[in-house]
Amino acid sequence: MNSATNSGRALPRAGSALPRAGRALPWALVTPALGWTLLFFVLPFVAMGFSSLTAHDGGGFTLANYSQFFTNQAYWQAMVNSLQVTAIVTVISVLLAYPFAWILAEQVPERWQRLALMLAVLPFWTSYVVRSYSWLLVLAQNGVINRALTGSGLFSEPLQLANTRLATVIGFVHFFVMLLTLTIFANLKQLSPSYRKAAADLGAGPVRTFLHVVLPLTLPGIMVGAFLTFVLCIGDYITPQILGGNNELLMPQLVMMQIGRRGDFPLASALSIILMAVVTIAYLACARWLKIERA
Amino acid sequence: MTINPNTWNPTTKQPLSVLKRYLHAACAATALLLATGSFARAADLNALIWCDHADPALLQPFEEANGVKVNVKEFEGTGAGMAIVEQSQPGDWDVMVIDSIDIPRGVEKGLFEPLPEDKLPLADLFPQVKLDNYTVVDGKRYGITEKFGYNTIGYNKTKVDPADMQSLAALTGDKYKGKIAIYDYYLPVIGMAALAIGKKTTELTEADLPAIKQELLSMKANAKLVGEVTASQTALATGEVDILVGGGEWVTAGLAKENPALDFSIPREGAVLWSQSLAMFKDSKNKDTALKFIQYIMSPEGQARLATSACYWGMPANTKAALSDEQKKILRFDEQPDFLARAQPYPAPDADLDKKMQDVWTEMLQAQ
Amino acid sequence: MRALVRIVSWFYAVAIYGFIFLPVVVLVLFSLQATSFPIPPFTGPSLRWYDAVLADTRLTSALVNSLLVAALSSAAAVTLGFLSAWGFARFALPGSALLRGLITLPLTVSYLIIGMGLLVLFNWAGIPKSLLAAGIGHVVINLPLCFAIIYSQMGDHQINIERAARDLGAPEWKVLLLITVPVMAPAIFAGFFLSMTFSWDEFVISFLLTRFDTTLPVEIWNLLRSGLNPKTNAVGSLVFAVSIVLVVFFELMLLRRKPA
Repeated sequence: MNSATNSGRALPRAGSALPRAGRALPWALVTPALGWTLLFFVLPFVAMGFSSLTAHDGGGFTLANYSQFFTNQAYWQAMVNSLQVTAIVTVISVLLAYPFAWILAEQVPERWQRLALMLAVLPFWTSYVVRSYSWLLVLAQNGVINRALTGSGLFSEPLQLANTRLATVIGFVHFFVMLLTLTIFANLKQLSPSYRKAAADLGAGPVRTFLHVVLPLTLPGIMVGAFLTFVLCIGDYITPQILGGNNELLMPQLVMMQIGRRGDFPLASALSIILMAVVTIAYLACARWLKIERA
Repeated sequence: MTINPNTWNPTTKQPLSVLKRYLHAACAATALLLATGSFARAADLNALIWCDHADPALLQPFEEANGVKVNVKEFEGTGAGMAIVEQSQPGDWDVMVIDSIDIPRGVEKGLFEPLPEDKLPLADLFPQVKLDNYTVVDGKRYGITEKFGYNTIGYNKTKVDPADMQSLAALTGDKYKGKIAIYDYYLPVIGMAALAIGKKTTELTEADLPAIKQELLSMKANAKLVGEVTASQTALATGEVDILVGGGEWVTAGLAKENPALDFSIPREGAVLWSQSLAMFKDSKNKDTALKFIQYIMSPEGQARLATSACYWGMPANTKAALSDEQKKILRFDEQPDFLARAQPYPAPDADLDKKMQDVWTEMLQAQ
Repeated sequence: MRALVRIVSWFYAVAIYGFIFLPVVVLVLFSLQATSFPIPPFTGPSLRWYDAVLADTRLTSALVNSLLVAALSSAAAVTLGFLSAWGFARFALPGSALLRGLITLPLTVSYLIIGMGLLVLFNWAGIPKSLLAAGIGHVVINLPLCFAIIYSQMGDHQINIERAARDLGAPEWKVLLLITVPVMAPAIFAGFFLSMTFSWDEFVISFLLTRFDTTLPVEIWNLLRSGLNPKTNAVGSLVFAVSIVLVVFFELMLLRRKPA
């Protein structure tokens, strides 16, 4: 996925590029990748599709796994929860990351930018499982934050932070702020300074330049980042499982529960396919920003 | 190449088998590659276990004494364990840790090998945990209880009134609202809910589920979290909550050194007895080693190491376990006869009731 | 006005850095805890939990497994991605846009779903769980990434260099090895590096597809489920250290190549 959407160029014609190439070579180049994708990505989907139409304890084809989802309130509530959490996380992450990316791109001197970015990414080189766990330590009743709050006399009672939806959201936002900062930063850097100069020459102040020139031009970067956030967030099991305290279930938890507790692959497949359908809808909504082009 | 007989019923086979044949052709090379890559060496013992058996302090002495490597795979819940077995080739597994009450399920599927009673220290076991009505099927012994304990009320005795912990009613009352965590495993906690409404855990039927659900929802309303082992243990140990529903010595004993205020009670209504057994697979290619492993685990030394395993502590089934006096005190070894007399076994639902119980559990988790 | 913006910017940046670093600092600090709970008060410093990690053969072998799976699956992903990117960029293939879309499709799917699909498929075909199975899954998630990065960097000036080489009589394989690969090296490195990152940290696919030998994130998850102790902090801090070493290593490789 690349944010360079503004300068796509046409594919060079085969004739001009490679007069001597036979027909076999190009296919030999692309077939391994295509084959891999078909065999280990498309085919598993088909298998999952079939699986979702069978019953856990035998019997013929059935829609029971799907009807289970739509009729049982506890099941579709998981999807509602997932969508809510994902939406909250995406919005907060974009709002936090944009100014940060802007500061890195505009306020930090050029020679320090690389270091500043490296620093921002550094914490994400801890293991992702461990990161959620350390948030649990930070947010716990006797954790660092509560100790600081009660110790400073700001609060007399510790706050309930861990094992809530808030904790899940914090854990997610932590990761996605970094991700979005990177995509938005890349987008800001690609903006030619001449756009801004032109806007200034035409009499626009910095605020108007930002709103009417910079923001619209960085929208693709935001959308790519937001979509990535959506996909990664809605499919994540670890963060809600560790931080959410099981006070509510999200879709991935429901899927893993079917596998981990009961070995019910058909139901887990059906739930995965429903989750996939939701992601596809989101993809279609963002599709126009998600094209991969050659620079 | 076996197909999971449960998931892939022959009646559904027509369209599936076509795809499957195609798949086999497509995957043949990969399968070969994968099979060679993951093929276990002959001298290895492949054990399907709970986390307490993964402790190197438990496994290493056996590995060194017998010159074998013990490969372990952890799972939670019999359903998941059975699924793993069904996805494997016959002979992939040698021994399994399983809820004692679920042994008949494995026997029914033709998975287990009878154990030689004369080569096992059955006479030394606490009589109440031998659970012969589950571990012996058609006169043959298929499992031996290795460790047990209680799903009951775990609490911090400096934060709550221990007298209140003598009744399950404390869990649904207002006094400890927001101070409670629930252990996230449906069977024992549903068992506790059954005890709270005066039902016997062995006699539960679908008709009891509405009342049990009500009881669970009342607990949930009081609870700060519903957590797996770590989350609930952490919450109790760090003071996030003061009471753990479903807790017991398996939570408090391992933490006794760090936090001696943690304790558990067996309330008036009783407690749920959990009990894990070892079973050997019929298709095992290493039956001698498998038996040696079971003998080792059941030996006084093996029992002591298992009882105090890093993952969780629990009562050794063998009364002669080589535990220190301090360890015995932490486990409340001497009070066991009284505890055992008041405990009831894990609920053992059939597949249909099991699914319904899990749905009740899911609804409880999802309830706000 | 400008000064005000600067001050606000500084505050904001420091706050975000604080937020980003908070859990890592806590993680590392309490890995040095002397007692069994990684929460305040701090009782260390002590290295006992690092000793415990290094003595735990399951963790250390999982670390080796993780590196192995990451390196091999990334190499496979980058090779497949590079070849297909080259094919699509240099030749007009029928249905090219559609096929390119197919290759990048896995980018839009959650790892959980990819893992589930492979699990069901392998189950069905009777393929046992193993590190190799997890590695296959990692190639699935990383191939589209490598393809997208390399494809997006294949511009016209590379075509011209290649054409020049061909005009001088170089056979196709020589053009590929001596011209295209060196010219595309930064993109290939970037793809490999990113793949390593994702594979190294991937949990759910490895969790679903491995059996005895597993990757570090899965082993850490097992550790986590077995109770709260600073050993998890210690292993997390060690992973952090290994990762930084890797980053620095790749940085140096990339930087050294940059002037060319």
